[in-house]
Amino acid sequence: MRLQTRKILDRAFTGSGVLAIILMTAALLILLTPMFVRGSGAIFFTATVEHRRIMLEKFDRGDRDAVERDIRSARAAREPVYRAIAEFERQLAAGDAAPRRLYATPLKDVKKALSVLFGPEPGRPRPMLMRDQYGQARWDRAQVKLARVLCREEWDYSNPAKAGVLVLKPRAADFAGTPVAEIFPYLQQNADRMLLPRRTVYWQFLTDVSFDSHFFGGIWPEILGTLYLTLGAMMLAIPMGLIAAIYLTEYATESRLLDLLRTCISTLAGVPSIVFGLFGLAFFINTLNVSPSKSVLAGSMTLALMILPTVIRASEEALRAVPRTYKEAALSLGAGRWHAVWTIMLPAALPGILTGIVISMGRAAGETAPIIFTAAVSVGKPLAVWETLTQPTPALSWNIFNLATEHEAVDEVRHVQYGLVLVLVSLVLVLNLVAILLRARIAKRMRV
Amino acid sequence: MKTVKTMVAGLVAIGMAAGSALAENANKIVVDGSTTVGPIAKAFAEYYMGSHANVNITVSESGSGNGAKSLLNAACDVATMSRPMKNSEKKAAQDAGILPIETIVAMDGLSAVVHPSNPLANLTIEQIRDIYTGKIKNWKELGGPDQLIVVISRDTNSGTYESFETLVMNKEKMGEKVEYVGSNGAIRQRVMSTPAAIGYVGLAFVDGVKSLTVNGVEATPATVTSKKYPIARPLYMYTNGRPKPGTPLQEFITLYATPDGKKIIEDTGFVPVN
Repeated sequence: MRLQTRKILDRAFTGSGVLAIILMTAALLILLTPMFVRGSGAIFFTATVEHRRIMLEKFDRGDRDAVERDIRSARAAREPVYRAIAEFERQLAAGDAAPRRLYATPLKDVKKALSVLFGPEPGRPRPMLMRDQYGQARWDRAQVKLARVLCREEWDYSNPAKAGVLVLKPRAADFAGTPVAEIFPYLQQNADRMLLPRRTVYWQFLTDVSFDSHFFGGIWPEILGTLYLTLGAMMLAIPMGLIAAIYLTEYATESRLLDLLRTCISTLAGVPSIVFGLFGLAFFINTLNVSPSKSVLAGSMTLALMILPTVIRASEEALRAVPRTYKEAALSLGAGRWHAVWTIMLPAALPGILTGIVISMGRAAGETAPIIFTAAVSVGKPLAVWETLTQPTPALSWNIFNLATEHEAVDEVRHVQYGLVLVLVSLVLVLNLVAILLRARIAKRMRV
Repeated sequence: MKTVKTMVAGLVAIGMAAGSALAENANKIVVDGSTTVGPIAKAFAEYYMGSHANVNITVSESGSGNGAKSLLNAACDVATMSRPMKNSEKKAAQDAGILPIETIVAMDGLSAVVHPSNPLANLTIEQIRDIYTGKIKNWKELGGPDQLIVVISRDTNSGTYESFETLVMNKEKMGEKVEYVGSNGAIRQRVMSTPAAIGYVGLAFVDGVKSLTVNGVEATPATVTSKKYPIARPLYMYTNGRPKPGTPLQEFITLYATPDGKKIIEDTGFVPVN
């Protein structure tokens, strides 16, 4: 080959390598940026007076006087709206039946839209569900709901051969010439006075329990559940995996059976996680009865089974990578086999073993399928340590799925879902970072 | 060294004993089953724990079929179901030494839902059946726009699916193009985002989608109670045996009959029973 061709080929290869890396970085950024931006919206957002009211009434947080002053001032600003509606209702009650019938539904709709925005009308009995007890706590959601008050959505089906077209009809037109017509421009101009939006850092999102199936509050039960499940899985998988790896590398004599065993372990690593989940349900819960219902214990056992092959293989590789001479030197100095493994082989293999462990920890934290049937529930309290033996728990991975599909009002709890994703992804990132740092540190120490 | 080991072993033993003792005494109710009943169960759990802070009620929504299986395996205290227990399940329960006791907690109307842009307002039961068997393929055949119908159904583990099968399908099989999803919420999501879709959900899941009248009757609390709405059905909670009076389980399972319970059922969108 001529020098010129080789140079061109070389350059082409370098170019495609750089391109691949750029593409990968871009993909990662495209994936992670929205996760972090939207996820942080669960903690950093513009909160309305309703948020501060919830904080005060449910958690006794915030400056009571200041919040109460805010509530009073918001109430005062909303007052003209309710007054206009009451005035119109009085007029209707006193007047003819025809306008009463005409305005009944539009008026009911306006009142409903208002109660979604501001919470129940003052003086009304307190609703049972917390989502009806308070108005919109987030300014972004409040603006969506305000738009629903100002305009009603109507679908124009005039062309039956085509799908309907969404038309926004200002409600002010429905009430033209009545006292209620005035509330719409008033609402538009004074929304911030009625809701008092303020930038907020709701860091307690991470440590609060959730209220009314995630409509309000934080995600502490989910975080704690994931921590329990992951730690439990590690407590079971690390000793078993290490012992198996030591046996496979140091004690077992090479044979066909051993090869078969290795193949089995590798195959186990490739089994889909949902199969582990069903196995956990059938074996741990229905057959062994490790707990009376789904529980963190059963979930941890299932997760431990799932990551066991990874832990074994990683530890095995790490032990195998330790130079034979280390062990031989130890043995020649009179150390027993176990002593040599314990004092020489394991410390030398530690960086590799730890990396394997931390990476499988990240996997255990993020897996959903194994815990659906063995440990995870949609709502539940944060558990005390001993309760993990018998009780199920919400968990980050499962609740992301739950809030994205099963929840009855997905759009209202979107920010919670994003928050859950952010926490889970951060958790896995931090675990991987820890793995890298640990490895670097131990490797450095070993070299000295 | 030895003393340390003994101490550690002793501590572990004590810890485990205390753990299991506490676990035995823990007040907990495990609720599993229907995604339709989910909103009621979750709201009841929150309400009950509000006044009984020492009780932990966990709710999972995995489908009525799973709820029944869970109860048969004694893996839950309350199985929420959107269909009655089948004879085969009752038989299996008997064999397992479980006595399923049925409580009807609320009434629900199965709503046929479409995207809000769909101009149709009413479908007869026969038309719905024909859509699901695949006989009607295009909205045009029903007087709508020229679009192939995207048919969404619950999976076969679902009580809503079985109710639909009994009340609408009349022993006919669903067509091949039907798309199965795992929860009421998922149907709602799918229909909300697909202009040509049709699905069926419980009354608490009609926000943001267009609920059609069936045989000319709108699904409202009144028509569901009077059985005028043709595809109404009860919602159940099953327990193993009758719970002892005064226990949290008994109080939880009878919440539906209290004034507050009825209010909660109404606010979630379902119809309380008298």
